[in-house]
Amino acid sequence: MNKIFGVALGILAAIGGFVDIGDLVFDVEAVAKFGYQLLWVVVVGVVGIIVYSEMCGRVAAVAERPVFDAIRERLGFGLGLGALVSSEIVNLMTLAAEVGGVALVLQLLSGLPYRVLIALGIAALAVVIWVSPFEWIERIFGYGGLALLVFAVAAIKLHPDWGDVGYGFVPHMDTSEHLVYAYFAVGLLGAAMTPYEVYFYSSGAVEEGWGPKDLGINRANAMIGYGLGGFLSLALMITAGALFLPKGVQPQFIGTVPLGAQVPLGTIGLLLALLGILFAVGGAAIDTCFSGAYNVAQYFGWEWGKHRRPSGAPRFTIAWAVLLVLALLVIMSGIDPVMLTEYAVIFSVVALPLTYVPILLVANDRAYMGRYTNGRLANAFGLLYLVVILVVAVTAIPLMVVTNQGQG
Amino acid sequence: MSRPEELDLGLGLLDHQLVDSEGRRCGNVDDLELEGLDGDSPRVTAILVGPPVWRGRGWFGRLAAAVGRGRTVRVPWDEVDKIDAAVHLKKTASELRLGRGDDRARPWIEWLPGA
Repeated sequence: MNKIFGVALGILAAIGGFVDIGDLVFDVEAVAKFGYQLLWVVVVGVVGIIVYSEMCGRVAAVAERPVFDAIRERLGFGLGLGALVSSEIVNLMTLAAEVGGVALVLQLLSGLPYRVLIALGIAALAVVIWVSPFEWIERIFGYGGLALLVFAVAAIKLHPDWGDVGYGFVPHMDTSEHLVYAYFAVGLLGAAMTPYEVYFYSSGAVEEGWGPKDLGINRANAMIGYGLGGFLSLALMITAGALFLPKGVQPQFIGTVPLGAQVPLGTIGLLLALLGILFAVGGAAIDTCFSGAYNVAQYFGWEWGKHRRPSGAPRFTIAWAVLLVLALLVIMSGIDPVMLTEYAVIFSVVALPLTYVPILLVANDRAYMGRYTNGRLANAFGLLYLVVILVVAVTAIPLMVVTNQGQG
Repeated sequence: MSRPEELDLGLGLLDHQLVDSEGRRCGNVDDLELEGLDGDSPRVTAILVGPPVWRGRGWFGRLAAAVGRGRTVRVPWDEVDKIDAAVHLKKTASELRLGRGDDRARPWIEWLPGA
């Protein structure tokens, strides 16, 4: 039983990166614009996040150091504070957007007013976080999100042109809109490697008390968790392609996403899709809310963690509660959650190097990693992806501006 | 007591987590007090913790110190038990007057059921 539940952390962390509210729409939009041409980018992103999650999970297991500890240690007080502020802004934007997503899905299910459902959604999240142990939060949202596997069945039932799908895994650009293509590629990469995944993942590893004996579990979590996240993302894209491409539909709303499961599978498909989206988006809200509290606590050296009672880590507890309240205010202002996550993804890529460089440095520090220091393979991939991250970080905002957020 | 034979103060000590004798996280190494820098045997005499210390940590540090609340806490070097990824202390946080921000925040949530 424990083995089955053992990869919940990886799944929940990955769901936040691959199938949260922003991805759901971004993936479908990318397919509507370019067909299956961008599928390969998801694969590149999956490998990248596996490499860095494995690394930060290993550091957490061997040295009990979560990512923001490493950030402050390697970047120093000043630059570390810059990383903290930018990551908190992005965490809050994303959290607000996910809460909006939860409310939108609840609205599709219940028909109640959006703002009422925002308040209900926040209250439900607060109660779940307060009463559930970390392991149960992981399981509820991680495995609940797996209802999205309905999209894999839908993808097959919709009989996409598998030749086209296969060709999508070979990098190519069959369009005159080079910059828009580049914008979506950068956005998909940014979403796949979004920093709060590693904040949440490494702190979760400390929460679960991983030690050097758990390095196998760490590898399994990174590979299975993010592999599944990427798989779900691809299933969504293929479903969208099979359904919308022939009709020339340009989906812009979260409500169009579950149609991909409803058309081939009927009401059951629709319900599973909505349930999956609800847990995935709720899970992403938990990812970002916890990440925000972890980061600030680790930067300032406060006691932190769900493994403590709320009064055992009071400032950590207040931090996540404050984030929830701020997210409530942001999303109640009526801002479009989908647009908000798109901005959050693009801004988060600027913080990518500030997060991933310290992980790579610490994973190479023999002083406390000892024989678990990065090997050649981890370093080769780590450096390769560092180049990818730097390119993405430098180009993301210019591309967003010149392509008018991918509208061309 | 176990301490590494060689320690890079900048990388291996500064900005690291402080953990008290009961395993409670109680601040970070915000700065170090050094003695004998002009002589031939410089040594670390204390770990400094708290917002006022941030003033010495660059432009951002001065900004943060202006906003931060709390006093400087000086932890004499003799109170350090062991150094790995974190700095482990020989006494409890309250004995060393560390982690007081958490102590101040506790009453805010203690009254809630399940806290």
